[in-house]
Amino acid sequence: MTHQPTNPRYGFLIDASYCIDCRSCMVACSVENNVPMDSTRIWIKETGITGTYPDLKRFTAPFHCMHCKDPSCVSACTVSALTRNDDGIVSYNQDICIGCRYCVYACPFGVPNYQWDEPLPLVIKCDMCFARLGEGQQPACAATCPTGAIQFGRYEDMLAEAHRKINERPDKYVQHIYGEEENGGTATLYISPVPFEELGFPIAGTTSPAYSNRLVTEGTPMVAGAMLVGLTGVYLTIKHLREEAERDRVEAAKEKAAQSAGEEQ
Amino acid sequence: MSIDLSRREFIQLGAATAGALAVGQLLPLMVVQAAQEAGMLNTSGDGTIPSMCEMCVWRCGLLAKVRDGRVVKLDGNPDHPHSRGHLCVRGQSGLFNTYDPDRVLHPLIRVGRRGEGRFRRVSWDEALDYTAERMLEIKQTYGPEAMVFSSTHNLSQVQFENLLYAYGSPNYGTQRSLCFNAMIVANLMTYGIEEPERIYDDQLQYIILTGRNLMEAVSTSETGDLSAAIARGAHVVYLDPRFTKTAAKATEWLPIKPGTDLAFHLALLNVIIGEDLYDHAFVTSYTVGFEQLAQEVAAYTPEWAAAITEIDADRIRRIAREFAAAAPHALAHNGWRTSNFINSFQTQRAITILNALIGNWNVTLRAGGGEASGALGTIPQPAYPRSSAQRLDHVPSRFPVVPLKLGVFQELRDSILSGEPYQAHGWFIARQNPVMSLPDRARTLQAFEKMDFIVTVDILVNDTAWFSDVILPEASYLERYDPLNVVGDRAYLRQPVIEPQGEARSALWIYKQLGERLGLGDYFQYTDEQDYINQQLAPLGVSLEDIRSQGYVDLPPSEAGGFEWNTPSGRIELFSDTLARVGFSGVPVWEPPPEPPQGEFYLLTGKVAQSTQFGTQNNQMLHKYADEPRLWLNEGVAADRGLVDGDWVEVSSEVGVGHIRLLVTPAIRPDCVYLTPGFGHLSRGLTTAFGLGASDSALHVTYTDPVSGSQALSQTFVTVRKV
Amino acid sequence: MTMLRKIRHELNTMPKFVYITAALTVFGLSIALYRMFVGLGATTNLSKEFPWGIWISFDLATVALSGGAFTLAALVYVFQFEDLHPATRPTVLAGLLGYSSVMVILLFDLGRWDRFYNVFLHPNVSSALLEVSWCITAYTLILVYELSPVLLQNSRLKWLLPIIKKYTVPIVIAGVTLSTMHQSSLGTMFIIMSPRLHPLWSSMLLPVFFLISSFASGISLVVAGSSVSHWLFGRSLKIKTMAKLSWFIPWILAFYLVIKFGELVIAGEWDLLFSSGNYSLLFWAEIIFGVLIPIGMFAFRQVRFSRTASLIGALFIMGGTVLNRFDVTWFSIASVNGEVYTPHWMEIAILVGVAAGVVTVYSLIARYFPVYEETEPHQLPVEVRPFENSHAAGD
Repeated sequence: MTHQPTNPRYGFLIDASYCIDCRSCMVACSVENNVPMDSTRIWIKETGITGTYPDLKRFTAPFHCMHCKDPSCVSACTVSALTRNDDGIVSYNQDICIGCRYCVYACPFGVPNYQWDEPLPLVIKCDMCFARLGEGQQPACAATCPTGAIQFGRYEDMLAEAHRKINERPDKYVQHIYGEEENGGTATLYISPVPFEELGFPIAGTTSPAYSNRLVTEGTPMVAGAMLVGLTGVYLTIKHLREEAERDRVEAAKEKAAQSAGEEQ
Repeated sequence: MSIDLSRREFIQLGAATAGALAVGQLLPLMVVQAAQEAGMLNTSGDGTIPSMCEMCVWRCGLLAKVRDGRVVKLDGNPDHPHSRGHLCVRGQSGLFNTYDPDRVLHPLIRVGRRGEGRFRRVSWDEALDYTAERMLEIKQTYGPEAMVFSSTHNLSQVQFENLLYAYGSPNYGTQRSLCFNAMIVANLMTYGIEEPERIYDDQLQYIILTGRNLMEAVSTSETGDLSAAIARGAHVVYLDPRFTKTAAKATEWLPIKPGTDLAFHLALLNVIIGEDLYDHAFVTSYTVGFEQLAQEVAAYTPEWAAAITEIDADRIRRIAREFAAAAPHALAHNGWRTSNFINSFQTQRAITILNALIGNWNVTLRAGGGEASGALGTIPQPAYPRSSAQRLDHVPSRFPVVPLKLGVFQELRDSILSGEPYQAHGWFIARQNPVMSLPDRARTLQAFEKMDFIVTVDILVNDTAWFSDVILPEASYLERYDPLNVVGDRAYLRQPVIEPQGEARSALWIYKQLGERLGLGDYFQYTDEQDYINQQLAPLGVSLEDIRSQGYVDLPPSEAGGFEWNTPSGRIELFSDTLARVGFSGVPVWEPPPEPPQGEFYLLTGKVAQSTQFGTQNNQMLHKYADEPRLWLNEGVAADRGLVDGDWVEVSSEVGVGHIRLLVTPAIRPDCVYLTPGFGHLSRGLTTAFGLGASDSALHVTYTDPVSGSQALSQTFVTVRKV
Repeated sequence: MTMLRKIRHELNTMPKFVYITAALTVFGLSIALYRMFVGLGATTNLSKEFPWGIWISFDLATVALSGGAFTLAALVYVFQFEDLHPATRPTVLAGLLGYSSVMVILLFDLGRWDRFYNVFLHPNVSSALLEVSWCITAYTLILVYELSPVLLQNSRLKWLLPIIKKYTVPIVIAGVTLSTMHQSSLGTMFIIMSPRLHPLWSSMLLPVFFLISSFASGISLVVAGSSVSHWLFGRSLKIKTMAKLSWFIPWILAFYLVIKFGELVIAGEWDLLFSSGNYSLLFWAEIIFGVLIPIGMFAFRQVRFSRTASLIGALFIMGGTVLNRFDVTWFSIASVNGEVYTPHWMEIAILVGVAAGVVTVYSLIARYFPVYEETEPHQLPVEVRPFENSHAAGD
């Protein structure tokens, strides 16, 4: 009943050491996907300027949907507007969404953006430019990044490359691939020269709460069935016992009446 | 029908274009037709058309995705060496320039006062007739030299020059003296070429960047190359008074005192020569003037430089040694303007010589192809009339080594004001915004008042157009042909990907139309843009139709660069006789820069990835993702003055004032402030940009380098106070 | 003419507070209309960090308190404690209005309220919120069913009553099942955001905690309602009946205490009880006021047999439940960037309007329908029996 999440077909490898905060990815994405002016599907996470003058540092990384293997948003979405397809792409159907914002709450990475200032708002979220994939192109962000900070390809290749890069340069990279296990594993992988918390990445556990959620919600019909049966049983039992008690009481009264009538005679 | 641009309502993107398309559809859909015949668009008008970006001078090749006659996405063309499949943030936003609701799509003639923003819409015929009439009037009354022509470098520049030379005016203003005169002249003096090409290969180990904030002044392929070099472990030394995004990626950031990078480089020369670290064989075989150079730089020790630059002497010495040790796989990057002081010419000379001393020619530097190619055809034309008048920018009279095609634009403006040696009366401006680009905006506006007639060619009513008498609407780069652009061994095509909106037309068409009305039709012997390009392609035996879908044509391969240079001596000139003969120092020499008085700051300028000079602040997509324009102030200094981040301050120089919000940051030297450039627009026709930020050109004082004519934009000092 | 005079008579004799609540309702609903037009950004302080706010807290608290309806229905119809029967009508009415107010607030909370029906057309069976929506909708219909005798009793449709009564037990059983489902599912909803909840509240047992506390708060609502209606309307349950009901309270609360603290011990979070600063304070406030004090109070016979003391005890429990729901949905949510959520005045205005609407509708229904028919009248001076001259006295 609780399904086994599959490995995604495609993945991103985003290397924070290459990102120069030029925002080409943000413009490319917005143009490609007609993203409304009041929102964005991709943005830049940064450490800010750290250190004391003149020993300063600054690191940035573009951030978009992690395309989890077992997405919390998909599990949570009331109307199945968020779905994960066979290629592992988590996409959003803007025609079904009712705006309950459960996905905004459930996502451990803070990915879904919401059009707060629209009277009829939508969730704004990366969908891996699957239309471009269909035409043999890479997602808009990866295709345009001038420094190659955003790489895209088969998931296995991206994961292998991530391992290769951090193993080759332990002096340069934090020895952790963000997304390899976070939230149960995601298609978007990150490597970074600084700890991910410094970039503002949320610390996520290694299992997806979607799993626990499903354990409970998919057990519901059973519980409901059990309750119906159980309550009916209780009702009938108590009713029977009361009727019996009532019969006994009536019997006893009749006997007593008969007795007293008999005594009088 | 009078249009009042000062009160134009904001139109949602798309609405204006709907109306515009309606007009365009009266004309046959030539762009679509040609694209369909070439197989680039299908019967529904969907497909991909290759062309070239124009959001900056890098001109990346692009692939435009067209759907139903609209361009919906731009991607980098993998076949173009400047894009290699990528487009930077501005390139990606290009279609927001084309579909900007503020596009000027019809010829306009002013009705109110200059600067009121009241124009009336006229037909092309009326606008062109009127323009030609006024230009001829000026020519006949005052002589052709009374008409000033200025344009920022673009692919149709050759026909712009054609127009002005045919007309007979010597007064040609470009943006070059506001940008890189120092660099070009220095390279000409040293190598005999304008700008060598840089080679980023796997072996490049050491790079010195003086300014040239490549991670923000993005040139797509070169930015990628630098990034790859850093990732590979190349050592990058970056000089800048600000901790920019390049500083964040560089191996070492040197927060050098403004104007003193000359001292830094002279000290490098001192160490490399003094410690005998230079490439003897190369210097002996290929250079002249080593003795004079060695003599001059002997005094410029790292200790001497340390006191001036505020960079440790040991550090300077180490960098010099490391740079030389990495030879020839080391590169001292010229950049565009280095520190942007008057002494920047000397700095550029020192940088070119630094490269020569380690012998990196044909290793990390080589002669580039240039943009013209002998293999392409040219349009036949008669000889130009001789002009006997002096140039108003005093080239070559006061600037003997500045090439004519560079000019000294700010001198031109000042001569218009002074009326010396003669008064200019008319100004023809194409694809340029001198109101914003020239230093000391107030003076530029005064110069405008001296004009009897101002005509501007542009795609938006930018600030210069706002103050003009006639506005001729050019088609944006996605809507027009331009002459072929040579990059490496290919000539690339710019072709329209959509029908031009409204009545916008290409510069090639405008110049020809104007030329004919000026009686100069013989100089424009092409029937239309496509004929122009066919004439260019003729010697190669192909036509425009043959190359459309590919987007380029291969040229006969150029010869591999040798070891000859186009200098008088035929060698690399460490000592330039050309300079010496006109009274300048033949070798790089120290010129102390001015320093701000107590309590004042150096006003720095510098690039932002999401903008290009003064032309992109109205782009809605860039506006969405760019940071708010601010004045950067060091956090220690701010604390001392009781200023906090977000405060409104008044920044003023001796020529102007601006009001802007403060950015308190550790990322800048305490003696400097930095103002986000390009804002403070005056034109209400720029509905997105108007009212944002403050104008840096309103603050800049005009300082001109006597050797190269370069404007020293960072030599302005300002005060800052809270309002 | 008589119709008009009748209306005027009603308006004149209407208790004044109804006018106030009606005015507040209109005010709140007009703010809500404004929210529909301009969107959530201008009318709430909701944000990406806090996409759910006081409305959701209100919803959960109201559903918890309205648990009285199903708890009482179970006790009366399934477990057949017939002497509790008189309390059913007011409790079901309160429950129905509570659930209706929740659905109204949810409609205002939904970004795309124009597509609310998609909940029924495109269900995601893994979603706890889907389960909650379906159950609440179905249960509201059941509450209407359970209240229908009150509404139809004196109408032309009164012939339906026998049919309605015949199927009451199965409907109640369905209702109790549905209530158990959604009371617990409201807790399940927060399992998927467990990373964001403070560990003192974050737990796989949230559904169980919510369910148990809904029993307790449900019974408390009945007890409190009984005392209140005794004073306001001169009608109430017999004190003995009430005492019988409140006898359950300490046991339920004790069970709650055991599983709550047991879970913390097993999860190794015992130390957080004292080291979490404000979170510890909130947690202990819930436990002390909502659990420990009431256990102590209702363990005593004197308290159970005193209307005043029972009311106070019941209010402690209800307060503790409301605090618990607010804690889970608002106060215990950690924010990544230090942002804090406080409701926009319009959010509160809409809540006030809806709450006032509940009070208004309740009062009007109680005035014109035999809601208190089966409760005991008491000898009180005429002036404190404001509904005496209404039609509710069964005439």
